Amino acid sequence: MLITSLLMSINQLLPVVILAVLLSLIVPLSQRQLSIYAVIGTLMSLVFVQAAAWVSQLFDHRGLEFIQMLLCIMIFVAALMSCQQRKMAAALALIATMTLYLSHYMIYLVSFWHSKDTAEPLILGTCLGVGICISFGVLLFFLLESIVRRAGVQPLVVLLALNATAKLLIFLDLASQVDLLDVTSNYLDWRGFLVENSELGRVLKALVGYEATPSKTAIWVYVIAAVIFIALARVLKIKKTEEPVCGS
Amino acid sequence: MNKWILALSMLLLCMSSWLAYAKEYKLILKDHLFYPAEIKVPANKKLRLLIENQDDTPEEFDSFDLNREKVLYPGRTSVIYIGPLSPGRYDFFGEFSPNTARGTVVATEVNDADN
Repeated sequence: MLITSLLMSINQLLPVVILAVLLSLIVPLSQRQLSIYAVIGTLMSLVFVQAAAWVSQLFDHRGLEFIQMLLCIMIFVAALMSCQQRKMAAALALIATMTLYLSHYMIYLVSFWHSKDTAEPLILGTCLGVGICISFGVLLFFLLESIVRRAGVQPLVVLLALNATAKLLIFLDLASQVDLLDVTSNYLDWRGFLVENSELGRVLKALVGYEATPSKTAIWVYVIAAVIFIALARVLKIKKTEEPVCGS
Repeated sequence: MNKWILALSMLLLCMSSWLAYAKEYKLILKDHLFYPAEIKVPANKKLRLLIENQDDTPEEFDSFDLNREKVLYPGRTSVIYIGPLSPGRYDFFGEFSPNTARGTVVATEVNDADN
């Protein structure tokens, strides 16, 4: 239970922390704003958890996937709009990401909270997971900040593009899961190179959406969407008046 | 307005008949165990997994091999489409109880599959 709680908390919190770090460096967000978004995101996750069981039965048991697919698209678009330094877009991206990921962890927490045997390792695992994610986030923040000082904000935009495009891979998997798209044939197998449930595999999955067995469709979507994101981010930045980007 | 409702109904009807082509397999989650733990399916066919969670706690169906992830709510039935799969073994597990809730989808050529 301890290991499960630890892995669950890392899996679900790390993508949120990574996006928060990226957005806080691209869009000037204060700690107060980040805290407000975190509270709203947590509340949205709670609402999602409350409604999820009912929603899951809608549309021939596919309601949950439809909502999650909507969240993935929202994250992609909002992350793109964040490159124009729109705080509302950054807030939307963060809240949608929290709703998508934290709701899973909340379901897990709520389910095993009541049992005496599981409560203790649950709390311990969660605290360790939160600690690891925060440490990773702080280190990533300073690493990316130094990159911004040396090379400008463009490498961060590329990283944000890969991170946001990874949500489209989740969209594809969900669409395939409910039989809206057929993307399951022609898999590539990179499990010999790096498995998804290894330490590095988990970090790369949260950072850039690494999949050990991606379909060829997923790879094409990933490359094309990332290129479009980067190109549009440049256009959006040009349209905006010269407003300083944090650290540059 | 009525035309739109009629068109939507026709679309949903068409989709339902289209979806009906996927062969259905039932999976039950009880006491944090999947029954059956091994499902033999035909390779290169689209399949519909109907998963009933009979436990009183939620579980998350997860599979790195199949690229699938879905929360299974207690007392509810969930649907996951998989395939077409190449012949081989595809592991899945319950993310909330990974030590007990484990299973495998075994895809074999149609003649050998246990239909």
